Amino acid sequence: MTILKEPVLCKRIPTHPWGDPADRKVISYDEYVRTGGYKGLANALAMQPKEVVDLVKSAEVRGRGGAGFPAGMKWSFLPPEDGGRRYLAINSDESEPGTFKDRLLIDFDPHIIIEGIAICMHACRLDTAYVYIRGEYHHQRDVFENAIKEAYANKVLGPDSRLGQINGRWPGLFLHRGAGAYVCGEETALLESLEGKRGWPRIKPPFPAVAGAFGRPTIINNVETLAICTPILERGADGPKWFQSMGTQRPEGAPPHVPASFGPKLFGVSGHVNRPGVYEEELGITLKEMIEGLCQGMRGGKKFKSAIPGGISTGVLGPDEYDVRLDFDITKYDTLGLGTAGVIVMDEDTDMVSVARNIARFFSHESCGQCTPCREGTNWMAKMLARIEAGDGTSRDLDLLLEIAGSMGALPSGRGATICGLADGANWAIRTIVNKFWDEFEAKVSKSHFVSLSVVGLTHPNHV
Amino acid sequence: MAWIAKNSASMQIERRDEPYLTLALKKKLEDEVLPRYDTRMAATMPALHLVQDTHGWLPYQAIEEIAEFLGLTASHVLDTATFYEEYWLKPHGKYVIWVCQSLSCEIMGQPSLLEKIKNHLGIEPGETTEDGRFTLMGVECLGSCGTAPCALVNHKLHENITAENFQKVLDSLE
Ligand SMILES: Cc1cc2nc3c(=O)[nH]c(=O)nc-3n(C[C@H](O)[C@H](O)[C@H](O)COP(=O)(O)O)c2cc1C
Ligand code: SF4
Ligand code: FES
Repeated sequence: MTILKEPVLCKRIPTHPWGDPADRKVISYDEYVRTGGYKGLANALAMQPKEVVDLVKSAEVRGRGGAGFPAGMKWSFLPPEDGGRRYLAINSDESEPGTFKDRLLIDFDPHIIIEGIAICMHACRLDTAYVYIRGEYHHQRDVFENAIKEAYANKVLGPDSRLGQINGRWPGLFLHRGAGAYVCGEETALLESLEGKRGWPRIKPPFPAVAGAFGRPTIINNVETLAICTPILERGADGPKWFQSMGTQRPEGAPPHVPASFGPKLFGVSGHVNRPGVYEEELGITLKEMIEGLCQGMRGGKKFKSAIPGGISTGVLGPDEYDVRLDFDITKYDTLGLGTAGVIVMDEDTDMVSVARNIARFFSHESCGQCTPCREGTNWMAKMLARIEAGDGTSRDLDLLLEIAGSMGALPSGRGATICGLADGANWAIRTIVNKFWDEFEAKVSKSHFVSLSVVGLTHPNHV
Repeated sequence: MAWIAKNSASMQIERRDEPYLTLALKKKLEDEVLPRYDTRMAATMPALHLVQDTHGWLPYQAIEEIAEFLGLTASHVLDTATFYEEYWLKPHGKYVIWVCQSLSCEIMGQPSLLEKIKNHLGIEPGETTEDGRFTLMGVECLGSCGTAPCALVNHKLHENITAENFQKVLDSLE
């Protein structure tokens, strides 16, 4: 029932239906080259840097880290070189609940990422690259560190690199270890963290392409975004056409600046399915196909109730949205987007009030505290939802929840009230759960308009 | 997180003669870490990690030593250290158990699992057992949602945890 004809990112990583995950092992440099690796880089190096950027642009590769911004376009925002340093930051913070796809590439095929990194460094004239890897990825750090060593030893990067000198320097690739802060996945918080500071997102503009790490031009891309550039470049001039033979076209009637959803994509499916895991599929596969095909159905034959399409920030799909296509156009189902394509599936027994409470707790825990609507609002929502879950909610709470949620976020839906998108995630997650499962929330709260005295730490005199 | 106020005005800093940031660690930073970055400040997190990996946690004296070595104020280094959850500004048990509490793990049975671990150890998240062996922590998504519920014990990830198999893990630790 798969649409994708052959694995692309999972070419060397045994994955259902093409292979058995039990057979997975780390692909060494030698094995990677033996199976056709580093051809994409060779093709890129035979082209002018600008031609590589144009090729990626024409393929319409959209960012795989959350926002879906076209990578080639991002690359073309860089100012001309001035001899100073220019940076690449590879976002490997992967902390969005429900997301575990980048880890698969790092665990087993790190060179497909390094090749993508080298292609990007050549194309964009970037001399220094940092992989910002989340603190909890201890094993992944070791695997990647080892792969970097191999890449240096084989002159992919480092002194005498086959890329040649860039901005008068030999291209370097380093790991930068995070230390447990979700917000550092936000690109400018990541840069602050890289510079040795607390991870507070920056106000934009200036955008990182102009003034990023250490005030210098910087490109930030997700691990998977860079990795998918490798098979495109491998096919040279045919790359874009090949890439666009997969996925879905731009929505009917959409203006030309709206990008389509091309290519294969890693989906990490977790929750109440029989076979959770990371699967590679074409963008546009339906949720139903994903669950009933690759994931072998709902666990215990239960009924589907809800799913989160791409990490908890993207909001929820309702029971009647079982058939939706998983591509970037998923915003039309009142979700924030495809996010990280970390799909969380929930069955009929799931308590959506608890789900909302868990999500609100996450955001209040992870808010960096810089913007008042986010710092106070997430905390307030978490407390209210804990109260509602405990049976102490009132009907007025539900309206208030929607109001608080709707008052935070950097997007217009959050009134542009905050600096970064963390608050948009909280906004969409809570609003969509409450709206799509209103009856369930209503059943949980009392009809009263007022909170009981016990909630505020008082008892009624008659009850003492 | 970072906006929680600390009682810095009344705080006594414990000191010892032997530095935490030893000459060997300084050399390692100087040779392997600082050449990677354009500023010394950028070595703040690697330096914190290094001292913590060596000593187990980050005493205030170590913060001051890192600051001096990198040419920063101690308040800057402390500011960074307090922001990130992985840095320990107080000692912890020999084994830190980080149980994922995010959504995929919760819907796959984390609450009852945590309950059992709490009962077994006799502590709440954030606490350390009296014998100093175990510290229990709640943590957000560990990037292992497909094999939920999961937990880290120090640096080792345990997946598809049940009360039974996790009990075996705990029993196997010295
Ligand atoms: C709160 C927050 C957390 C984020 N976390 C991640 C992350 O862990 N990994 C990631 O690749 N992008 C993350 N992003 C998205 C990045 O800001 C950025 O859009 C992305 O890394 C750009 O890469 P791409 O264009 O290749 O997708 C996060 C964004 C926000 C607002
Ligand atoms: S929106 Fe929230 S996480 Fe983002 S900068 Fe503001 S306070 Fe920090
Ligand atoms: S939710 Fe627990 S590992 Fe992701």
